[in-house]
Amino acid sequence: MYEERFDKRKFDELRPMEAETGIIPNAKGSARFKIGNTEAIAAVYGPEEVKPRHIEKANKGVIVCKYDMLPFSVPDRAKPGMDRRDIEISQVITNALNRAVILEDMPRAMINVRIYITQADAGTRCASLTAASMACADAGLPMRDLIAAVAAGKIGDHVCLDLNKEEEDFHEGGATDVPIGILPSKNEIVLIQLDGKVTREELKEVIEVGKKGAMEIYELEKAALKRRFLNESKS
Amino acid sequence: MTLENYNYMHELAERKIRLDQRAEFEGREITIKDNLINYSDGSAYVELGGTKVIAGVKVMNGTPFPDRPNEGALIINFEVSELASNYNEDRINYSIELGRVTDRGIRESNLIDLTKLVIEEGKTVSFVYVDIVCLNNEGNLFDAGNIAALRAILNTKYKIEGKEETFELPLDKSKLAISHTFAKINNTIVFDPTAEEEKAAEARFTIGISEKINSLQKGGDGFFTPEEIDLCVGKAFELREERFKKLMENINN
Repeated sequence: MYEERFDKRKFDELRPMEAETGIIPNAKGSARFKIGNTEAIAAVYGPEEVKPRHIEKANKGVIVCKYDMLPFSVPDRAKPGMDRRDIEISQVITNALNRAVILEDMPRAMINVRIYITQADAGTRCASLTAASMACADAGLPMRDLIAAVAAGKIGDHVCLDLNKEEEDFHEGGATDVPIGILPSKNEIVLIQLDGKVTREELKEVIEVGKKGAMEIYELEKAALKRRFLNESKS
Repeated sequence: MTLENYNYMHELAERKIRLDQRAEFEGREITIKDNLINYSDGSAYVELGGTKVIAGVKVMNGTPFPDRPNEGALIINFEVSELASNYNEDRINYSIELGRVTDRGIRESNLIDLTKLVIEEGKTVSFVYVDIVCLNNEGNLFDAGNIAALRAILNTKYKIEGKEETFELPLDKSKLAISHTFAKINNTIVFDPTAEEEKAAEARFTIGISEKINSLQKGGDGFFTPEEIDLCVGKAFELREERFKKLMENINN
């Protein structure tokens, strides 16, 4: 049975994190978010003219988001370009960002969000979403709140926070993975997926633990953004 | 959808009225026809209200994946065909999401015991291909496709090259992960949305349930609070019974 985590963490403990913004000077906004061995970098371009024209919306802006795993990000080699998984993840990340960014303020405009996974050790969609929301804030886009995203789950009988790859593939008791993205100050869940086996009560517990982890990430995000703007005003 | 219709749908939702006069958590009628496709090993045609889908199963011999030498494989594909609706915005992305969510529910429930699909260890295993096609999109393709896929899997009887007898898939029928989709329109949550409701909705929530929750997927630009998620999950557990009965109707043992 799973009584102690492979990397000796507590069951509700996040992996060590790093966050910084403004790492891609060419972009309007950018960010890097690292959690354990998972690292995502995100760049935001725009608001700009919508291309292709037919996706333009008269009453609000559109976000076009691309999530891509770099070929060297996984033990084998990921084929360059987007596969079906990447397209689905791009879609759920776009959905979440659509709620966080106040698109009503920028009709007929487009925002490009590009995300690369440089290292993958589970939780990549959450790391991506966290990085993307920091990049949006860094770009100065009007936002309802930052998004803090983390994978919670259940391994054997334990509710766990921030699963790594080894845990995600844990077979004996079965592993359940629940990526959650929330707007912390509004208590709105903008991304949630699940695969595995949990009861209704366990799901509640998992969401609770996920929310707690997200709050920690939220503080880190805010600190990273503050650091960036304080530095800028100095120079 | 025109702005007029959109506003009208929101106004109705606020008063908790649905265009087809259903209650908030009332599903549409489900009609199932079995094995209409001669060349498949099992198939099902499902109507969920006006939504029509067809699912076909083919079981073929194949070489096992290198990391799973002693397991067969389940491959689920869901196509939103171009003839099903004139609403083609994002058809490809939507198809991919549909396919992956449908796959996830059935796979995670362990309905099919893939270890029993080995013909010759390390060399030959059975591949179970489930192909779902939507013929008419009147909303809630997630549930319609899921029901069609499950029924087609239940109907499957196949032959293996060089063997006389007919096989059935190694199923654990207590593990049918049935999909339940909710939509949130103007903060009102409804079950089994129609195409019109989907277009007016700000968010969608799909729950796959066997004995436990096997899959979740939030879609759309809106959000759900943790309380709303729990409400949907609770309702889905209640609604499952009826769908399970329907799904097992006229299935032997």
